[in-house]
Amino acid sequence: MKKNIVFLALLLFAGNAIAQDLTVGEIVSKANSRSYYQGKDGSARANMVVTDAQGRIRQRQLTILKLNIQEGGDQKYYVYFHKPNDVKGMSYIVWKHLGKDDDRWLYLPAMDLVRRIAASDKRSSFAGTTFLYEDISGRSIDLDVHELLGGDGAFYTLKNTPKDAAAVEFSYYTVQIDKNNFIPMKAEYFDKSAKLYRIIEALEVKDIQGYPTITKMKATDLNANSHTVTEFSDVQYDLNLNSDIFTERFLRTPPQQWLKE
Amino acid sequence: MKRLLFLAAVFIIFPAASAKALELPQWHGFVEQDFGVRLSEDSPTKHRDYNLFEQRVQLKTRYAIPGVNILSRWNSVFTYKGDFVLDEYFQTTGSYQVRELNLAFSPAGILDIKAGRQVLTWGTGDYLFINDLFPKDYISFYIGRDDEYLKKSSDALRLSLYPKIVNIDFVLIPYFTPNTIPDGGRVSFFDSFQGEITGTDSNRNAVKPARQGRNMQYALRLYRTFGSTEGAFYYFRGFDPSPRSYLDEANHQLFYERLDVYGMSLRGPFLGGIGNAEMGYYRSRQDDHGDNRLVENSMLKWLLGYEKDLGNDLKVAAQYMFEQKLNYSKYKEALLSADYFWDEYRHLLTQRITKLYKNQTVMLGLFNFWSPSDKDGYLRLSCAYDLTDQWKLTVGFNLPWGEDDTTDFGMMQKNKNVFVRVRYSF
Repeated sequence: MKKNIVFLALLLFAGNAIAQDLTVGEIVSKANSRSYYQGKDGSARANMVVTDAQGRIRQRQLTILKLNIQEGGDQKYYVYFHKPNDVKGMSYIVWKHLGKDDDRWLYLPAMDLVRRIAASDKRSSFAGTTFLYEDISGRSIDLDVHELLGGDGAFYTLKNTPKDAAAVEFSYYTVQIDKNNFIPMKAEYFDKSAKLYRIIEALEVKDIQGYPTITKMKATDLNANSHTVTEFSDVQYDLNLNSDIFTERFLRTPPQQWLKE
Repeated sequence: MKRLLFLAAVFIIFPAASAKALELPQWHGFVEQDFGVRLSEDSPTKHRDYNLFEQRVQLKTRYAIPGVNILSRWNSVFTYKGDFVLDEYFQTTGSYQVRELNLAFSPAGILDIKAGRQVLTWGTGDYLFINDLFPKDYISFYIGRDDEYLKKSSDALRLSLYPKIVNIDFVLIPYFTPNTIPDGGRVSFFDSFQGEITGTDSNRNAVKPARQGRNMQYALRLYRTFGSTEGAFYYFRGFDPSPRSYLDEANHQLFYERLDVYGMSLRGPFLGGIGNAEMGYYRSRQDDHGDNRLVENSMLKWLLGYEKDLGNDLKVAAQYMFEQKLNYSKYKEALLSADYFWDEYRHLLTQRITKLYKNQTVMLGLFNFWSPSDKDGYLRLSCAYDLTDQWKLTVGFNLPWGEDDTTDFGMMQKNKNVFVRVRYSF
């Protein structure tokens, strides 16, 4: 019994020590891994509903396949559009690189055309939604200076200031990270006059194959008074995706087994 | 009871449905109304005040062959796409065009096959084609139909091989399909037999190669990536898809001369954008030495391009194309005094600006061709608005111009138009 209490005390102490000893860098790095690098690969079906200021609704539905090339580093993405109907069948490949521009290809089946996309602006809208490219594929943690604003309660609150202020439209953003699983639950973006104008929040987190996963998230643009809710379904990890999927071959011939209608 | 009978019928007719969810093909497509008003006066064509007035219904489906059989094991996908068109310009009763009807399958890990009617595209140019000799519809391009209709389909067998070292595309096209080019009915052009920009008065005709084994066309592409850069070699053996040679001058007959094309291209990140370079050697097999005035000479074509994303959904791109007619001195010697003759060199520049507004639902596009050597050009402007996920409205201008009636864009100068397209997608 005594032994057990000592053990418990040790465990508590150890747990506490781990939490307190985490540096800002470690918190950021863990949150980044959780958000974008879980599993060696993964797939999900994303249903995105965009609501504009007048309440009009647009829908985007896509399948996303992801392959980690290097933990915390390069990744490959395959995106297949199911909806809306005028873009149905289009596919998209991103080779995400840290430190240089991503490589992107878009396939337009109506013309059998593989276009190379010049896309140095990662802060443009993803497929016309309130989400930006960087929200989907991740913003390199090296691009910002991170400060721990608070660690009381259930969240770490971080302030992130861009090293190159001219490259982005925000002056800084804060992120609340769940202490239990390091999932970023809310990010708030402030413009050059320090006014809050953009919010991204996790609305639902589920455990999938042992990986805590955001299954519902919302992006709100306070200036445009519009928002997008994305729900992820059929989330799967560690599928042993072949890296060939992320090439021109499968851009032209979508990998049937991973794309249920 | 009726419901029970229906259910029973379903289970009898579709036994597979009860065994394993059978996915029936989904049909998609659009309904579209197009209208294009001429901005040029004295058009010598059938109608003088408009050149586009049609209703179009497109239906398409993609169907992955289900069940346990060889086709499903080969990941076979059947694709169909067809357009039903009511063309008020020619007041036809309606025509039906099958754009795609093919079966794609992978009988081996490194082999993909696509057999049937399909659209084929490769090369790096933007509206400029060097190694893409697959058929195109330039009438659609000039009157303001959707970009999709610039590409015509081919009845072909495409074999794609993916060994480790290099990817190989081999296309066999049994029957020749020519480009659709102006013939005067809808779009006027320079008819050398008439000696002027001509419309319905044109009576020239082009003789297609006969359907026989020796007239089959082949296209080959070898390509791979080197890091982020893509490199490709191309080979084409077939016919010039536009009739550029004379068969019988007295009877105003043209023909599609035999053509071999050897080419290569590179495309990849360059100066913060995407750069591309492509070249092609056009060997005119029926005029190897350039001394036949009736047959198009061999040519060399070079292309450089660059595209950059300036942020805020603004993209700009530019291209430079250089064409050289080979054996030019022999060509000039062979010409008769009354012949129209073409320059040895042609320089062509293009510019593209694309800007998106309102969460990418409004697209403003500009594409400009300009040839300083031919002193002609062609400005294309368009504005597309996605009113909803279903409704799309497109308005645009086609403005070709030129100092000369004989050059590529100059001959199109009486075809300026403004067009509207309304599309409902489902």
